[in-house]
Amino acid sequence: MDNQTSSSPIDSKDLAALLKTQDDWQVLSPVAILYFAASVFKHLFGNLIYLIPALAVSYKSVLEHPFIWLPSILVAFVLLVLFAFVSFKVYRYRLTDDNIEIRSGIFSKKHLNLPFSRVQNVKIEQPIYYRFTGHASLQLDTAGSAKNEAKLVAIKLDFAQQLKTRIQSQVQNNTIDINQENISADPTGILSSSTNSQTQQEIVLNRRNLSDLVIHGITSNRIWIFLGGLAPFYNKIVDSIGEWLTNLGIDLTELFSLQTHSLLEVGLYALSLTMLAMLVLVSFSVIGSIISFYGYTLSKLDDKYIRRSGLFTKHEVSMGLSRLQMIVQKQDWLDVLLKRINLKFEQSNSFANNLNPSATSSKIIVPSIKANECQALIDDAYPSNALNTLVCNHGFEPISKRFIFRNIVYVLMPLWLIITSGALMNGKLLIAALLCVLFVALCGLVVLRWKRWGIVKDENFIYLRKGLIGIDYYCFPTYKLQQIQFKQNLLMKRRHLATVKFVLASGSLKVPMLNENLAYELIDQGLYQVESCQKSWM
Amino acid sequence: MLESHFSNPIVPINALPAILNLDKQSLSEKYAPINRLVNLGLTLFVCAIGMALYFQPFVDLPAGLLIFLPFFIWAAAIFGLLLTWIRHAQDHVKSYTLRELDLHYTSGLFFRKVVSQPITRIQHIELKRGPIERKVGLARLQVFSAGGEMHTFEIPGLPLETAQQLRQFILQHKDMVKHG
Repeated sequence: MDNQTSSSPIDSKDLAALLKTQDDWQVLSPVAILYFAASVFKHLFGNLIYLIPALAVSYKSVLEHPFIWLPSILVAFVLLVLFAFVSFKVYRYRLTDDNIEIRSGIFSKKHLNLPFSRVQNVKIEQPIYYRFTGHASLQLDTAGSAKNEAKLVAIKLDFAQQLKTRIQSQVQNNTIDINQENISADPTGILSSSTNSQTQQEIVLNRRNLSDLVIHGITSNRIWIFLGGLAPFYNKIVDSIGEWLTNLGIDLTELFSLQTHSLLEVGLYALSLTMLAMLVLVSFSVIGSIISFYGYTLSKLDDKYIRRSGLFTKHEVSMGLSRLQMIVQKQDWLDVLLKRINLKFEQSNSFANNLNPSATSSKIIVPSIKANECQALIDDAYPSNALNTLVCNHGFEPISKRFIFRNIVYVLMPLWLIITSGALMNGKLLIAALLCVLFVALCGLVVLRWKRWGIVKDENFIYLRKGLIGIDYYCFPTYKLQQIQFKQNLLMKRRHLATVKFVLASGSLKVPMLNENLAYELIDQGLYQVESCQKSWM
Repeated sequence: MLESHFSNPIVPINALPAILNLDKQSLSEKYAPINRLVNLGLTLFVCAIGMALYFQPFVDLPAGLLIFLPFFIWAAAIFGLLLTWIRHAQDHVKSYTLRELDLHYTSGLFFRKVVSQPITRIQHIELKRGPIERKVGLARLQVFSAGGEMHTFEIPGLPLETAQQLRQFILQHKDMVKHG
């Protein structure tokens, strides 16, 4: 243990001063009460959006019966505060040279003991209410599950920063030690001193302006998810909007009645109303994007990528280059029009809480960057990759044309035939005609989908292309593979086709309808590279 | 510094070990018959519950249910027998292969599937034995990688001794010892 402290790059005296009460259990700063309250609130009302219509209904009854509702709300509030206060009171943490202990929990007590060397990922989060007091919360992720993560809820920001560098240097030392076991060269001193000198400089790789974020908000159509969530309440919402408009003196039924207005007028009204609704929705999405990515910087320190962003809650996510599993370059159809790319650095899934895809996840997303910036970032992470040349030279191996045939003949055609004949038998010609148009359009999409599929491998990487209207590129080092699956049904076997599924720590990728020989080659060589290369996937 | 100890000779693709011609080991002989028995038993159980419901004298069932119940029993019986038959056929083509550096599991009658798991990427192993498996001395070997729960590599129906040997082999494997 002594050995490790002396080899850690940060001056140990400094730290000793910082952690002067090392062996004592320490209490958080009282600001933590706010944090606990907020987290309980978030926990309870995480799906607040879905509750809005219910709240709107109960709002009326609150007005009608204030004597029942106000006290109960008050009681709920008091309970919340009490809970937060007790959570704060029972929370203790203790830091020693190389591990952290946290005791928490009111009813079910939790005692967490985490050696620094097991820490995968360090995140610093600064919610808006911590900004006045200069506190932050430090989250330590382990390779295990999301459940046993440690969170130091309220500590001073600079202390958090120092602790972070300390933990990370320890992790790094550990990996260096492991490397040395393999290589048995160079004494530790040289290595750690070299890392020491490098530790100081942090290079900013990318910043995002407000305009970029606005573009990201427009192109990332997360709004459709939101709309899907609201679907059960459409009726109520439409009703209440209609009511509201009538109150304003606008009568929708009159506006859209074809007796008083010409068809053109009604069409224009409808169009402008839809545009207005779209505008509102898009602006929601833009606001969301700004909230999570405001002040975005991606910087590199040593071989670690650090992402900082957030308007209210500032997030800081850092990830070592060795933890990077896969680079994903995504372009939706709107991105194609605006010539922007969303770049994702993906790391292991097991400790990332993927419920919130935007700011809190430990993926590193670079939103809406230009193609040249994207290429620069990819080259920075994987200098030997050939993604750009492959894209330019159309070097991707296409999948079999049977893909088109299979999807149209076995999936779309029967559906279309059944529904259309049903419509024709009922004499609904217009619907049948519409169905035909839809069928042709879907067939077009299938062809487009086929055109996007592509795979190629080179010495170190496997590249994958897929998409529908937009194009996504996936690139991962072959040695990061966790498992490979080969799938083939009898029909495919007759045509010598196969599906390959690559399983990585960040998720799996499936390529359908490949030539059988190519599939075998990909698997055999993939296995060979995983097994012959002694590099760890982490 | 890393480069000096690193060698990366070109390997001709033809010389690579291929998963196309794996030397397949079949599962325990008991596995398929036991599975068939269990599936048959389940089918009978569902049918028996339906029949008991139909013929019991204690509660008056709604008329709709009374008409519907015989159809349900027949459907369950036919479906269950069909499923049992398909499962049995599937059980016969399941096989596994242990190579020096990786594990493979082949399955599927119409949809053939070969899962390949390099031993160096294994996180931990579990031997699982349900009550029936314990009775007949079988075990399931589950192998977890960082690919997640969804991609747990499982070999069912191994004789207990083989399963334990496999586990021991993997645990003592040099790749596991180094990275574990």
